[in-house]
Amino acid sequence: MALTDSRPRTKAAERSVLAKAFFDARVRSIVLQILTLAGVIGFFWWLVHNTITNLAARSMSAGFDFLDVSAGFGIGFTLIPYAEGDTYLRVFTVGILNTLLVAAVSIVFATILGLLVGLARLSTNWIIAGVARAYVELLRNTPLLLQIIAWYFGVFNLLPRPRDSLVLAEGFMLNNRGFYMLGPLPQDGFGMVVAAFALALVGAITLYKWEEARRDRTGKAFPAISSGIGIVILVPLIVFLAAGSPLDWEMPVLQGFNLVGGISVPPSFCALIVALSAYTSCFIAEIVRAGIQSVGKGQLEAAGALNLPANWTLRRVVLPQAMRVIIPPLISQYLNVTKNSSLAIAIGFPDLVSVWMNTSLNQSGRAIPIVAMTMAFYCIVSLSVSLVMNRYNRSVQLKER
Amino acid sequence: MTVVFEPKPSRPAPSTVVGPAAWLRQNLFKDIPNTLMTILGLYIAVTVVGWVLNWAVFNAVWEAENRRACLDAVGRSGACWPGVAEWLPNMIYGLYPKDQVWRINLGFLALIVWMVPLWLGGVKSKVAIGLSAVMLYPFLASYFFLGGDKGLVWSALIALGLSGLVWAWATALCERATGLSVGEWLGLKVAGATDDLKQKRVRQGAMAALFLAGLGLVSLWSLPEVRTQYWGGLFLTLVISGIGITFSLPAGILLALGRRSKMPVISMLSTLFIELFRSVPLITILFMFNTMLPLFLPEGSSVNQLVRAIVAVCLFAAAYMAEVIRGGLQAIPKGQYEAAASLGLGYWQTTTQVVMPQALKIMIPTIVGNFIGLFKDTTLVSIIGLFDLMNMARAVGEDSDWLGLFIEPFFVVSLIYFAFCFAMSSYSMGLERKLSAGRDR
Repeated sequence: MALTDSRPRTKAAERSVLAKAFFDARVRSIVLQILTLAGVIGFFWWLVHNTITNLAARSMSAGFDFLDVSAGFGIGFTLIPYAEGDTYLRVFTVGILNTLLVAAVSIVFATILGLLVGLARLSTNWIIAGVARAYVELLRNTPLLLQIIAWYFGVFNLLPRPRDSLVLAEGFMLNNRGFYMLGPLPQDGFGMVVAAFALALVGAITLYKWEEARRDRTGKAFPAISSGIGIVILVPLIVFLAAGSPLDWEMPVLQGFNLVGGISVPPSFCALIVALSAYTSCFIAEIVRAGIQSVGKGQLEAAGALNLPANWTLRRVVLPQAMRVIIPPLISQYLNVTKNSSLAIAIGFPDLVSVWMNTSLNQSGRAIPIVAMTMAFYCIVSLSVSLVMNRYNRSVQLKER
Repeated sequence: MTVVFEPKPSRPAPSTVVGPAAWLRQNLFKDIPNTLMTILGLYIAVTVVGWVLNWAVFNAVWEAENRRACLDAVGRSGACWPGVAEWLPNMIYGLYPKDQVWRINLGFLALIVWMVPLWLGGVKSKVAIGLSAVMLYPFLASYFFLGGDKGLVWSALIALGLSGLVWAWATALCERATGLSVGEWLGLKVAGATDDLKQKRVRQGAMAALFLAGLGLVSLWSLPEVRTQYWGGLFLTLVISGIGITFSLPAGILLALGRRSKMPVISMLSTLFIELFRSVPLITILFMFNTMLPLFLPEGSSVNQLVRAIVAVCLFAAAYMAEVIRGGLQAIPKGQYEAAASLGLGYWQTTTQVVMPQALKIMIPTIVGNFIGLFKDTTLVSIIGLFDLMNMARAVGEDSDWLGLFIEPFFVVSLIYFAFCFAMSSYSMGLERKLSAGRDR
C-alpha cells in the first residue's frame, strides 16, 4: 500500500519541479539570457572565422604594424607640420585635429547664430519672428550634405581668382583658393600678456565667487560680472601696452598666382563651416526657444511682484531655469556637429574620415584596424561628453522629495 | 410708474485695440526699436525673395542647347533650366529603363491607394490598415521594382502583399458602408453565422481564399528584372528611406525594451549596440559595411552595394529610434505599470496593451522627426557611390553639355527634399494637436 502510494507522488513531484522551472520567471530569464549570449557569441565567432579565412585568402593582415610605415601621400590642410613621408600614425593625428578644428569653429558660430535666431523667433515683432521661422524651416528641412555641397560648388568655388580677391576688411580676403586673414606674430614678451590674461581670469572668477557668497550672507549686491569683464580686458591691455605692444601682424600678399602669408584655410573648410553652422543654428534656435518658453509665466510674475529689475529677472530667474532645459539638448547638438563634420569627405576637406577611413584605408588595405580606430575616436568623444553631461544633469536636477 | 433700467448699447472697442491698424501697431510698430526691427526684417525678406525670384524666374533661361548658350544669354544672373529639365527624368527614376518606368509609378500608386483609407471617414481599423501598409507593402513593391525570377517563398510574399491591399480596401469599404469589419460582415450577412467561432472560421476561410487567388495571379504575372545598378534618383532615395523607416520602428521598440529589461545580459547587449551606433557618424558605418561586409561573410558570397547601404542605414536608424522609444517609456508613470500588474497582466500584455501605446503616442513628434532625419541622411549613400537624388543632381554639372551647372539642380533637389520633410513635420504637428486635444485644456 505504501509502495503503490509513493510512486505517483514522486512522479507528480518530479513533474511539478519541471513545471515549476518552466513557469518560474527567474529560471526562464536565466535560460533566455544564456541562449541570447550563446547566439551572440556564436554570431561573432562566425564573423571572426569568416574574416580570418577571407584575410588569409586575400593575404591581408589585420595588425597595427602599419602605423609607423610612411603613408606617402600629401594632405592639403594640416594644423601640425606634415610631410608626404610621414607615418600613418601622423596622418591619424592630423585627421583628428582637423575634425576637432571644424567642430570647434562650427560650434562657436552655430551657438551665436542659433541664440540670435532663437531670440528672433520669440520676438513680438511679427516680421522678425516670421523671417526667423522661414530661416529655421528652410535649413532644417533640407539635407546637410546637400547644403555643404551647394555651398562648396555653388559659392566658394565660383569666387574670383586670388588676383581679384574679395576684400572683406583690411587683411581679410576671400577667393577661390580659400579664406585669408592676417596672422599674429608674437614677439618677445607676449608670454607676459598671456600670463596677465590668465591671472585676470582667475581673479575675475574669484571675485564672482566672493560676490555670490557675500550676497547669500548679507543680501548686498555688487556688480561682479561687469567689473570681472573689465578686469579681464583691462589688465592684459595694460600689460600689453607696458611691454611695448609685443605683437606683429603678418598680411597675406599676392605672390605669383597665390596669396602668401598670414592664416589661410581652403574653400572646402569655408563651405563646411558655413553649412554646418547654419544647419546647426536652426536646431540650437529651436532649443533656445523651447528653453525660454519652458519657464512658467508665474515665475516672471513672481519676479515682478518682488520688484526685481529686468536684468535680474533674466539672470537670476529665467536663465537658471531655462538653462536646465537648454543645456542637455545643446550638448547633444555639439556632438552632432562633431559627427556631421565627417561629411567633409564629400568636398575633399581632409578630416579624420576623409584622410583615414578613405585615403589611408585604400592605400594600406588595413580595413579592420583603420575602421576600429576611427570608430574608437568618435566613441571616446561621445562617451566622455555624455559622462560629463550625466554629472551635470544630476547637479541641476530639481531636488524633489 | 416703474422705471426700467435700459443700458446704453456698448460702444465699439477703441481702434487702438482692435482692427488691422491696432494689429499693425501691436505687432510691427509698438515703439521705435520695434519699428526699426520691422524695417530690418522687411528689408531682409524683400531682398532675399526678390533675389531668388529674379534669378529663378525673371532672368532665367528656359530654352537652350547647352550651358554655353545659357551663359551667353544671361551670364550668372539667371538660372539655366533646360539642363535640369533634360536631367529631370534621371533625377526622379535614375537609370531605370525608360520602357519600365511605369512599374515605379504603379508601385508608388499602390502605396497611395493603400493609404487612402486612412483619410476616409467612418473607417475604424485605421491602425491595422496603416500597419498592414508598412509591413506588407514592401513585398508587393519589391516585385514591381526588382522583377525577374521569383521563387516559391518570394511568390508567397508577393501574394501576401497583394491580398493585404485587397483586404485593406475591403475593410475600409465594409466599415464605411455597414459599420462592421469584413469578417463580421461576411459571417453575418453572407454565411449567416452568429457565434464567434463560426465567424472566425468564415474570416480565415475568406483570407485563405484571397491569398490563394493572389498566389494564382502572381504566378501568372512576370516582369523582366531590373538590376539595382540601374536604380537611382528620387526613387532610390525613397526606397532606402522607406526600408529604413519600416525596419527602424519595430527594431527600435525591441531594442528599447531590451535596454530597459531586468535581464542583465539582454540589457547590456542592447545598450552596447545602441551606444556604439549612436556615437559614431553614419558615414563611418556606411564605410564599414562597404569595406568590411565582404570580409565578414563566407568566402565567395557577394553582397550588392545597395544592400550594404540599406543594412547600414537600418541598423543606424534602429539605434536612434530605440532611444526615442526609451524616452517615451520613461515618461510613462509608474502607476500605469502597477495598475496593469494589479489587473494580473503579464509583461507582454502590459507592454503591448498599456505602456507601448501611450509611449508611442507621446513620442509621435519625435518619431516623425527621426524619420525626417533618416530621409535627409539617405543623401550620405552618395558618398559610397550610389546615385541617389542628390548625387544625380551633382551629375548634371558633370555632363559635358551642362558642365558646371550645379546651383540649378541643387535648387530643384532642395525643393523636393523640403517638400517631403515639411509635409512630414506639418503632418506630425497636426497629429500631435489632434491627439493632445483631450489632454491640454
